[in-house]
Amino acid sequence: MRLRTSDGFTVTGDAFSMDLKLNRFMVAGHVTLHDATGTVKGAAISDFLDFRRIYFVPVTSEPDRWTFLDGDLAHPVKGRVMPGDAFYFPQVSDHPSITGTGAVVDTKTYVRFINAHTYFLDAGVPLGTYVVNFSSSQYFAQNTLSGASVDLTWNMAGSPNALTALHLRYDPTYKTYLSVEQHLVGDHEYAIFSVNPATRAEKWWNLALYEKLGSRFQIQSFTQYYTQQNWLQEPRAAQQTTYLSATYAFPHSYVTATSQLTNYNVLGPGALEEPKAIAGSLSHPSQVQITATSFQNRILKWPLFEQIYEGYGFNHDSVGGGQYLNGFPGYWPQGGSMFAPIPTPGLQAYGAPCGVQPSKFYTYYCPVYTTIWNTVFGFNLFTPSIKLNNPPSPYQTYYLNASFNKQYQWNSLPHWISTTSENFSINRQFSRPVNTYLSYQILNVGDHYINGGYQPCTPVDTFYCPLSFTSFRGVSTQHTTSLGLNWVPSPEFNFSLLVRHHVDYPIPVPGVFGLPGNNILGQPLYASYLGQPPYDATGEVRFKVLSHALLDVSRTFYWYGNPYRTQFWQPTFVVQLLPI
Amino acid sequence: MRRTLLALASCALAILLLAAGASVVVSGQLLAYQEGYVFFTTGDGFRVAHDVVIKDAKTGAGTAVKPAPRVWARATFDSSGTVTELDLSRSPLPPQGSFDDVARFAVALSTPVPNPDLLKNVETPPPGEPQTVAASQHFSGRPVLVTFIVQVPPYTPFTSSVYISTDQSGWNAQAIPMDRVDALHYQITRRFNSGTIFRYLYDRGSLQSEEIAQNGLARTPRELVVTDADVRVIRDTVYAWQDAAPGQVNQPQPQVMPTPYNPAPFPNLPNCLPPPEPGGHGKPPPPPPGCPGSPPF
Repeated sequence: MRLRTSDGFTVTGDAFSMDLKLNRFMVAGHVTLHDATGTVKGAAISDFLDFRRIYFVPVTSEPDRWTFLDGDLAHPVKGRVMPGDAFYFPQVSDHPSITGTGAVVDTKTYVRFINAHTYFLDAGVPLGTYVVNFSSSQYFAQNTLSGASVDLTWNMAGSPNALTALHLRYDPTYKTYLSVEQHLVGDHEYAIFSVNPATRAEKWWNLALYEKLGSRFQIQSFTQYYTQQNWLQEPRAAQQTTYLSATYAFPHSYVTATSQLTNYNVLGPGALEEPKAIAGSLSHPSQVQITATSFQNRILKWPLFEQIYEGYGFNHDSVGGGQYLNGFPGYWPQGGSMFAPIPTPGLQAYGAPCGVQPSKFYTYYCPVYTTIWNTVFGFNLFTPSIKLNNPPSPYQTYYLNASFNKQYQWNSLPHWISTTSENFSINRQFSRPVNTYLSYQILNVGDHYINGGYQPCTPVDTFYCPLSFTSFRGVSTQHTTSLGLNWVPSPEFNFSLLVRHHVDYPIPVPGVFGLPGNNILGQPLYASYLGQPPYDATGEVRFKVLSHALLDVSRTFYWYGNPYRTQFWQPTFVVQLLPI
Repeated sequence: MRRTLLALASCALAILLLAAGASVVVSGQLLAYQEGYVFFTTGDGFRVAHDVVIKDAKTGAGTAVKPAPRVWARATFDSSGTVTELDLSRSPLPPQGSFDDVARFAVALSTPVPNPDLLKNVETPPPGEPQTVAASQHFSGRPVLVTFIVQVPPYTPFTSSVYISTDQSGWNAQAIPMDRVDALHYQITRRFNSGTIFRYLYDRGSLQSEEIAQNGLARTPRELVVTDADVRVIRDTVYAWQDAAPGQVNQPQPQVMPTPYNPAPFPNLPNCLPPPEPGGHGKPPPPPPGCPGSPPF
């Protein structure tokens, strides 16, 4: 093999190895060291790049030991005692994951293999160029891709500041597809662009930007552009959303300004909209929020911490998206007459009846609010891990955790939303592998209108309007008791079980409230919602399937108590392959 | 008495064997084999006899394996320090002998001189005497159980999954899944070799939900140096999540368009419930279209 360094010397020999973590390379067997001062033959050479020490075993008339200090190859220090590990080979598997005919190593950043092959069932798969990035900069790992059940990444090009990757992915929604991602990374900034899935008609074009200016200020953005198009043909539908965030840090608090700009129809009138090909939603709402947040502060010397926050913001939309003057979405019944509602030209219609009423059945209200300002104030109180007893064994100790959150949001459209959350838990570690906890949570959400508000549903005591729901006026309370168990006999195996009981108002009734949608992995999009089945149990098992991979399988079972007795599984198992 | 006699007999036998020129055997990994010398990864080079015998280390028969870098070998030295036999293997051989015993046979033109880069050995003081030099961190490479316990912000959703992402796994956001142990804490135990150095951050399954520093800015990764120990426990605190800081507008997730503005905080109210309306305008509104009791169209 032949090695050329950026310092200007070349080495040939029988074997090369480089420990990328130790940042040391070694050449052994029939070594020839050549630089501007001449050529020396030897048995092995080892270069500790971080320490600027080169250890060399020359073979002239007899073997010797030379040390080159600070890259000075002209003046070896002869006979100097060498570290014991100067020539140790790193122990690696006999089955390499990648081979190549050459490699470019940028220390502490990446390796680019030339004419690379990877192996599947001992069969070589040509990759051409393959880059392994091992930079400690987490900016290289920032990505704009969604989760996937399996992601095989081919890093096909790289440099100290860039990485280009092609992903072969699988998820239950889009099945198997390819995605492309480009990273550009600096010391205090990054830019990431991706298309995912690139080989499906539904494409998401993503751009994430981040910059840290000084030690107290950062700004970042995330733009997502959705298109429905075959390859790069003219899109049939397109949406865009941009998120901007800027944060300034103070000594004991910080201020964050966030903004979200969305355009639900970039193509304009005439774009596709199901079920009728009409103008489509032309809504383009914008949202800005400025929030000041304190650090978590300990109260006196009690085991109690507090944090407060306050924010101001506004929402604006002069078109309206999904809101209708009478609040109802369009309705196209089978064989019946069509109901085409009048969209609200703004965020929300609320006030007196409008002067012109287009329907004799429904009342339309004015004015329409195109801008709604809000003020948010909230605080957290929490106490982490209070020891409840003092037994001789730590496996008999019980700990209490508690937290309390209160938040108010006052809107310029005259209503306010109050949220209160209380959480208590007691936990105990029974042995090294087994721990359990019992938790009780109360979540209270109130949506209060100064005048009017939520109306009773009718007709009472029907499937669509059960008795328990008729008194709902915008305030919900959810009580959740949870019992969790973790059994971790070894780091390579884990079993966990979470059983929950919900006592909620409004009372859940099968089929009345919808279950939350799932993300593309099959996991619920949000954790707490009205109509949760009174009981659920989630089992999760995680175990080692390959030397560097764990398989994680979980599934949730929901069931209702009397009088419904309905039960059902979560639609699918959630399966993930995780690297160790 | 019997033990003393046995020990004396053993010493006498050892002296007799050495006097008779008994061979010394050591095993290790080869660095090079060239120009009449064999080099081990200690850096030591030893003379090889012209008629050196090369065998398979496991069978004792002849072998097709050639002495070369990375090959494991058991070397037999004669009394003059020349290697007379090499037993080769492509897999590691059980440790045998000590290179300290054959260091005197290593060939080197120059006289050894001390290396000021190397740390001096620190003797353990006798019992009762104070340690004069601070004990340095020690790394033997043996597996160490490391338990991570992290305290999360009190507003972390109860069903959230929390993970550790590390530079060792390419900052994969779901590299190390953790288990909830109470309302505010998650825990996981992993095995790392001592000497491992890595950087890590906590997240909730994606880099968009990564932890941020207490001052709201992106957090510098934590660093862990795994030193020799039976078990290590690391306790950390997450002050906020990037996508769920108090009072913030939630950051959109990849492949999820934000939903249109919804003035109600309940995302899944039944379709047949009328929306909020001002009161005092007569009778309650009829059910929405498609619901029982709704007016005909």
